[in-house]
Amino acid sequence: MVFSTPIFMFYFLALTLLVYYVTPRRGRNLVLLISSLFFYWWGERVYVAIMFLSTAIDYTHGLLVERCKAKGNDRGAKLAVASSIVFNLALLCFFKYWDFIAGSLQSIGLTFIPVLGIHLPIGISFYTFQTMSYTIDVYRGDARAQRSILNFGTFVTLFPQLIAGPIIKYKDLGDQINERTCSTEKFASGVQILMVGLAKKLLIANNVGMLWDTYKAMAPGELTVAGAWLGVLAFTFQIYFDFSGYSDMAVGLGRMLGFEFLPNFNYPYISRSITEFWRRWHISLSTWFREYLYIPLGGNRCSKPRWMLNLLIVWAATGIWHGASWNFLLWGLYFFALLMVEKFFLLKPLERAPALAGHVYTMFFVMVSWAIFGLENFGQLAAYLKVMFGLGGVPLADLSFFYHLISYLPILCVAAAASTPLGRAAYRSMGKKTQYAACALLVAAGLVICTAYLVDGTYNPFLYSNF
Amino acid sequence: MSKKFSIFLTALFCAFIGGMSVASLLLPDKDFLPLENRYPQKPPKLTVEALNSGKFMEEAEDYVSDHIAGRDFWVAAKAWSERLSGKQENNGVYFGEQDTLISRVKDPDPAKLEEDMGHLDALVGNVDIPVYFGLIPSSAEIWRGRLPAGAPTADEKKIIDQLYFSTGAETIDLYGALCAHSAGDIYYRTDHHWTSLGAFYGANAIFEAMGLEPLKLEDYEKTIVTDQFYGTTFSTSGVRWLPPDRIDTYIPGGGVKVTSWFGAEPSEGSLYVDSWLAEKDKYSYFLGGRQPLCVIENENVDGPKVLLIRDSYSDSLAPFLTERFSEVHLFDPRNNLNSVKNYVAEHNIDQVIVLYSFANFTTDQNLFVLGR
Repeated sequence: MVFSTPIFMFYFLALTLLVYYVTPRRGRNLVLLISSLFFYWWGERVYVAIMFLSTAIDYTHGLLVERCKAKGNDRGAKLAVASSIVFNLALLCFFKYWDFIAGSLQSIGLTFIPVLGIHLPIGISFYTFQTMSYTIDVYRGDARAQRSILNFGTFVTLFPQLIAGPIIKYKDLGDQINERTCSTEKFASGVQILMVGLAKKLLIANNVGMLWDTYKAMAPGELTVAGAWLGVLAFTFQIYFDFSGYSDMAVGLGRMLGFEFLPNFNYPYISRSITEFWRRWHISLSTWFREYLYIPLGGNRCSKPRWMLNLLIVWAATGIWHGASWNFLLWGLYFFALLMVEKFFLLKPLERAPALAGHVYTMFFVMVSWAIFGLENFGQLAAYLKVMFGLGGVPLADLSFFYHLISYLPILCVAAAASTPLGRAAYRSMGKKTQYAACALLVAAGLVICTAYLVDGTYNPFLYSNF
Repeated sequence: MSKKFSIFLTALFCAFIGGMSVASLLLPDKDFLPLENRYPQKPPKLTVEALNSGKFMEEAEDYVSDHIAGRDFWVAAKAWSERLSGKQENNGVYFGEQDTLISRVKDPDPAKLEEDMGHLDALVGNVDIPVYFGLIPSSAEIWRGRLPAGAPTADEKKIIDQLYFSTGAETIDLYGALCAHSAGDIYYRTDHHWTSLGAFYGANAIFEAMGLEPLKLEDYEKTIVTDQFYGTTFSTSGVRWLPPDRIDTYIPGGGVKVTSWFGAEPSEGSLYVDSWLAEKDKYSYFLGGRQPLCVIENENVDGPKVLLIRDSYSDSLAPFLTERFSEVHLFDPRNNLNSVKNYVAEHNIDQVIVLYSFANFTTDQNLFVLGR
């Protein structure tokens, strides 16, 4: 089930909240567990078995790690951590990468692995990473092992962040699973954030997404230079507002249930360098890779070549995490190259350069990266990039470009403004009373308009089916 | 946030989603969505199979969406919102000039076209009577001037020319006939069909191609049958701010014998079926809507017997055809998979016309029937 559907908002959520709040505190995790399992089963049916399997295996491994540590058996603890990592990675690799590897091998004539036609379980990249971090956190002493399998199951399946993140580490959530406070203030702030997320997804992302789909579907001969850039600009906004919209919805829903999740995006498009961009984009993923891959590899406390190798590994992994396709690997390596260049030469000059130069530089490379990300077929990608850079032998613009530009200009302007903290600053500068009035008005209008788009939801893609 | 305000926000949100869900549950189920001109999703059947395949979930999601409280309001609100945000289309329908709603026509799949043209040429080879082929361009092509500037839609003229060039059938220049009168009300503003006036020019294009005498408009008197027609583009667009359309007729309905096959048994039909004027789908006033086969006989005319392989555009065309043909057999391959070749032989047909609107011809999956 996805958030941006009437059935989720008006039935699943309404019913879950009702049952959750009439249930006494100690029964609430059970309510969450059951509703989350239902939520996952609704979309993925038999794959809900993965939830049970993951819960059972990681739960036992967590206890095992703690018991070994308590007995001073570090070797045993390490073995248990390794076993849990192997299990989670095996799960991820089988469902996500088996067909990709088999298909790639077949294309070079090696047919010893059959292509199985596996349907990717939704959200697997998010929840395997979360459960993997659990045993590691227990081993590192950052979290205590969860005693209650019910509570652990709630952590694994928690529906607000189950299928599209953010990736929440057990050490950040464990205490809240055991004990959390619910209050009207928390609930109301959750409503605000949920509305922001819904509006981002339904009013902006879906809207500009249609524009990107139009350009993505064009044959290279039909494109124009300006059109190709307009298409990529649309995707640039689509992916940010879709992804951060989902994260906001997760944070909002979480708060309504009493949880505090860490923010996942921090206005990435106002960055002045790629380095800064990645501090602001999908924060839960980059911190995950830093804590559980980059630092264990040695981080930067090693020789320069080794450090570069570490980064290469992290960025290749980041790339391929986004989807089992070569273009995602290329996308990760593209950022590796950019970050290398920045670390060695560019960061200093960028700091001294006017802010505008940094913004233009960053957005240019970010937009090109979204072309790589959005076009999975290399032939199509090459043709599209050629057109973008004026090498496609196509006109600069045509009538249909102007049609699309005029139709989408207002929404693109809204998207651009909403990518900056201007709105937040304006809101904060208001007096308390004006703030309340504005907030009430926006939430009420948001409910009405978002419902209109939910009901007539002819276009409502789920972008993370690759993840 | 103050306690008071958070109570207010919480109450607002809960009242809204709770109210929507309770109101939707209490609302009686609808059999038909008149404004959208379609049947809503029926309550999904709970079976093990439907649960395992996910069919139950899909149907349940559609069911919830179709039966949400105030659905008509939400659909209209979305169209309004799109318009206010500067969009010039909603759900694939352009907001054209002169209060006209025009469906975007997608670029057809060349492979499918080639296959279907093969079926057409097979028909030409199968029968030893003349076969005529006509493609009716959509309002998006003929009324390009009413579209927002640069609005993408298929280049129908170019594709029709290519198909006409390659086929072994005789061709009917409907594009030319309609283009010459594009200033008139030849299409509905809120529906994808041509009006009776458009069909009149279409009929003359057919007669011209066959060497028959064209009809003169001044010989007929126009009758307004309804001025409350909201058609298909109105329904899909969500646009609710336009005035309704008018349906006219030129040919009086009497003097011809109409036999309709809605099911297996023939029933007596009529060129015009008044009862449809009370329904949402008023275009079905012509001949009573979709039927696998319909035969119209006019004893007063000494003309050829034609078989028309056709779509719904022919429903409003048929009255004009009765002026020149003694028998008009309307054959709809979407519901009629019988052999065209046998039909021609069994009914002593003199001429075959394959007449389709561009959009239907390029998307219809049953054109293989032509070659049967």
